[in-house]
Amino acid sequence: MDAEIMKMLAAALVMGIGSLCPAIGEGMVASKALEGMSRNPEMGDKLFTNMIVAMAIIESIAIYCFVIALIILFVS
Amino acid sequence: MTEISVAAEPAFHIGEFAVTNTMTATTLVTLLIIVLALLVRRKAGIIPTRAQTAFETFLTFFLDQLTAVTGSEKIARKIVPVTVTFFVFIFISNLFILLPFVSTIVTGEGFPFLRTPTTDYSMTIALAAAIMIGSHVVALCIAPIGYLGNFIRLKGFLKIRKPMDVLMAFIDFFLGILEIISELAKVFSLATRLFGNIFAGEVVIAIVMGLAIFTKFLLPVPFIVIACFAGVVQAFVFTLLTLLFVSMNIKHAMHAAHSH
Repeated sequence: MDAEIMKMLAAALVMGIGSLCPAIGEGMVASKALEGMSRNPEMGDKLFTNMIVAMAIIESIAIYCFVIALIILFVS
Repeated sequence: MTEISVAAEPAFHIGEFAVTNTMTATTLVTLLIIVLALLVRRKAGIIPTRAQTAFETFLTFFLDQLTAVTGSEKIARKIVPVTVTFFVFIFISNLFILLPFVSTIVTGEGFPFLRTPTTDYSMTIALAAAIMIGSHVVALCIAPIGYLGNFIRLKGFLKIRKPMDVLMAFIDFFLGILEIISELAKVFSLATRLFGNIFAGEVVIAIVMGLAIFTKFLLPVPFIVIACFAGVVQAFVFTLLTLLFVSMNIKHAMHAAHSH
């Protein structure tokens, strides 16, 4: 197989597999945070900021994958 | 379709030295912040103006967050200027490209003259490294030997009584080395998170705009909104995480200072 095609395939695989797990993780964070907010609405604001921070940290895994995909595609 | 390049393009040259377009944008952002600060400062007084009230609310919000993280208002008041500076700088540079005419200025070689500062990996890594090294220096000033003892753990070797203790001492020593690696990893993860999020937003917008002629007008709007949201959240997350790491380091050092 051509090296160029292989690179594209690798980048696609990195993004596909690499965004799967963070998606599941973010879903868990959101569901638990919403559950907590509905049970205790006064904690809502605090939970919301914490939820956003936790989600951003989880999302960074997908972002690392994105950076690796960029390196595969554009940096020779 | 516009060319996507990870490295920053040169805006102009001073002799052999190439000034990149993120560099020019960074300078402009800095000037913008200074002008804003002077404008707010000029009219500030005991009877607050509208801008002063807005900024004071914002500072109080950060002070509350800091107090919650560090656990004492005294430490919080000491590190609030640094962290809020970081927040304001990252926030304005993330949203800098939204200003009118900023993205349309092009140099003679066809590169954009201004580019979002945080889409340059050197920029984000410099920010992260600066604050982490600064926190280490502060911690070293509080308790030099005790703080170094966190990383180079030789205390276990002095306490050897049984053969089993040798093993434990070695494990403790390697845990100390792992601690050094985790400090380095913090810098890279902070920098990569900020860079990746902002750069990803720009790439998505560029790709959507490059699909066809009719996608240049209304279709990118939701993506731009998402990118803006990511910019605000990432600025907040960067500050909050640096703050967590810094206060952790300072707490370690204070703990070491008290136990000796």
